[in-house]
Amino acid sequence: MSQKPKIKELLDESACAHNKTRTQACNAPTPGATTGGCAFEGAQISLFPYADAAHLVHGPMTCLASSWETRATQTDWPGRDLTQMGFTTDISLSDVVFSGEEKLTKAIDYIMTHYSPEAVFVYATCVTAMIGDDLDLICKQAADKHGVPMVPVHAPGFVGSKNLGSRLGGEAVLLNLIGTLEPETTTPFDINLIGEYNVTGDMWQYAHLLDELGIRILSTLSGNGRIADIRCAHRARLNVIVCAKSLISLTRKMQERYGIPQVSLSFYGKRDTSAGLLAIAEALGNLDLIARTKALILREEAKLEEKLKPYRALFAGKKAVLNTGGNKTWSIAAALQDLGIEVVATAVKKATEDDREKARQTLGRDGVLMMNPGVEQAKLIEEKGAHLLLAGGRSLYTAIKKGIAFADVNQEKKKSYGGYEGLLNLAEDLKHALQNPVFTLAARRAPWEK
Amino acid sequence: MGEVSHKSVKPLQVNPFKLSQPMGATLAFLGVDGCMPLMHGGQGCTSFTKVFYTRHFCEPIAIQTTAVTDAIAVLDGGDYSIVESVKNICKKVSPSLIGLHTTGLPETKGDDIGGVSSQVDYPLVYVNTPDYEGGLESGWALTCKAIIEQLVEPSEAVNDNKLVLLPHVSLQPIEVEKIKQFIEGFGFNVLALPDLSTSLDGHLGDKQASLSSGGISVEEIKMLGDAGLVISVGDSMQTSAAALLKNNPAMRHRHFAHLHGLEATDALAELLLAETGFSAPPIPVARWRQRLQDAMLDSHFSLGQTRFLVVAEPDQIAGICQSLYDAGGQVTVAIPTVDSPQLEKIRAEKVLVGDLEDAEHLADDYDLIVGNFHCEALAHRLDKGLVLRGFPNWEQVGNPLKNDVLYEGGAYFLFECANAATALRAHLAAG
Repeated sequence: MSQKPKIKELLDESACAHNKTRTQACNAPTPGATTGGCAFEGAQISLFPYADAAHLVHGPMTCLASSWETRATQTDWPGRDLTQMGFTTDISLSDVVFSGEEKLTKAIDYIMTHYSPEAVFVYATCVTAMIGDDLDLICKQAADKHGVPMVPVHAPGFVGSKNLGSRLGGEAVLLNLIGTLEPETTTPFDINLIGEYNVTGDMWQYAHLLDELGIRILSTLSGNGRIADIRCAHRARLNVIVCAKSLISLTRKMQERYGIPQVSLSFYGKRDTSAGLLAIAEALGNLDLIARTKALILREEAKLEEKLKPYRALFAGKKAVLNTGGNKTWSIAAALQDLGIEVVATAVKKATEDDREKARQTLGRDGVLMMNPGVEQAKLIEEKGAHLLLAGGRSLYTAIKKGIAFADVNQEKKKSYGGYEGLLNLAEDLKHALQNPVFTLAARRAPWEK
Repeated sequence: MGEVSHKSVKPLQVNPFKLSQPMGATLAFLGVDGCMPLMHGGQGCTSFTKVFYTRHFCEPIAIQTTAVTDAIAVLDGGDYSIVESVKNICKKVSPSLIGLHTTGLPETKGDDIGGVSSQVDYPLVYVNTPDYEGGLESGWALTCKAIIEQLVEPSEAVNDNKLVLLPHVSLQPIEVEKIKQFIEGFGFNVLALPDLSTSLDGHLGDKQASLSSGGISVEEIKMLGDAGLVISVGDSMQTSAAALLKNNPAMRHRHFAHLHGLEATDALAELLLAETGFSAPPIPVARWRQRLQDAMLDSHFSLGQTRFLVVAEPDQIAGICQSLYDAGGQVTVAIPTVDSPQLEKIRAEKVLVGDLEDAEHLADDYDLIVGNFHCEALAHRLDKGLVLRGFPNWEQVGNPLKNDVLYEGGAYFLFECANAATALRAHLAAG
């Protein structure tokens, strides 16, 4: 039987709050008016962080050439970091005409001979899905031959969005890896971190705290992940979903299949980090653990407060407008508030109903939720007297025109803003933005234009 | 010239630096003013390409996608996707041109984009650029050729003062500008096609543009037919030059494999002197020639003891290797992304089409790498020096303003390489 997941079933996720309100059309992108990545990219994002597995992209050059080494997902895997390597069959016209299956088999053999990974993820792409290369069969044959898991990932770009691709990546892991190995030992406090990719080392901002509490990260999908660990994931006591709605199908199925409960949380900003740690302790249900977690939170928050003191005066009375999407619409807002900055508006155009609700709660009654940030943000900066615009690069012009400081929200792809310590990174970057003369100088008119 | 291998024997690419045809096509369309590149394929190809160039140029990149889905792929021959796309793009903006280019997906199912394009009532240029053939360089070149074939109007008149420059894909915006200025110094009116020098040169405009914010205009392209002289740079641009010449039997053409280094720049100056009848070039040109000669002498000691690996698109490799060779640098290995007529001409001991895994296997043969961002991990692992060139460079800012060509750029390039090599030796000596 084909391993290809049923896309319709995946799109119909009972655990999603907005499931009842969505229409079929949600999934169809509009030609000529579509932004955002494809399913293949989504699958890549969710699986590439396994540094001990090879990630082989079966397709033409665009798919890998523009995507490898793009994400700073960190690992302490002592072997060669295969996440930061690119493998692709780079199929040619003759492969399109005569099938790329033989090439794929040879490519897998080559990888096993030269790199001996713990597993190989084989990614279908639009072209190889169109020509009908049988990834399932090839992976099965290769697994038999080489004795390590070969995981076909059926998320060719044209089946849908990045979000769907992440789900498909999760499906591939569930079908091929989870439950295929038993852990050497188990503890009552074993958890899986789902959807934490350890971008810029985000996970390491809080992993040591979990460790101190005696909570063991049994496996991750997939930050700093190990194939051997995720194969044992079915023995965890709790699935912790970190900022990733896309993997909710996976955790629901793990709940049905293995009885593993789940919590969904974020480690962005002080309040979220504290609430997240406590939520894990409470879900694990041990009173002593809960008490110890509360004590740890008090200690960490006090430590952070101390370190934030030098920034308090600088941020006091400062107002910010935030223009981003997804869970960042509220999570960054909360982090800014933790720093003592008032968030007067946040964009919710690219956010789910759930995110909008959270944004409303975070900003309070007076905060503006922008449905059309491109038009609204400039006006709001003026009306509210904002000092800082946090947005993607496209909005830089707005900040310069209004003569206020600008910070690129995508900076978090280079530097961790996660956990307690990450908030200090954010504070430092915002301090630099507010103090930088560049934004007024860039707006200065030329002598011949005066 | 050394040993040349035109094709990799491996069943895969490991750590590739090859880029795809549609990505080259996108970039070419971004050199046309007010253009909206429209990539025909799944939405991911476009998204990847947009992010790729945004990070390289630190500029917003205009591009749209026909967003072909699995369902549409089966039912539609491209008609729906393309016609709908044009309609939806024009709801928001008014491009001077739509630059339709394909990817592997519609090519696999055999969309007739020429046929569909004829149904579109809007200025549009189409080009077939499947990503399972060619690479960045050919995608750019095919697009340039398509723009010429579909837009340039035939002419019998000849304007001897008008010169068309056809630059290859790897020339950064400032390099195109410098070449234009060099030629303009001899009194010519120069039009570059495509022209990134005014679109992706990293200038702060008045507002955020949602289309390409500079480049050659569609009107200028239409009128290229009366140019007296065509200069193509890079072997990939020969077919574009041939296409342009078809428009006017009186048009003349001169080809340069590259414009790196003393001799190539001398050849260009010689041509321009002959064309104009001038006895000497503008004063700054002569001055920069002297500076380059001095730079070659100043850098020769460091370069002479350095072995280089150069990885890049073929047209860029040809130029870089010549520059290094001229000052005594030993290019032991050159790895181009794809096959090209340039390969036989490359000044390197070994030339092989390949990937960065091949570069890793040859690690004992070189000290310093000239290549793109992906070479950084390699340089780090193997303790090699690195001078970043080519697409992409996500590590550094200022890419559009890196100038390696003609007398001036050549001097800066040699200094940068010589200094990097000296720093490397100091680093290695310190252990």
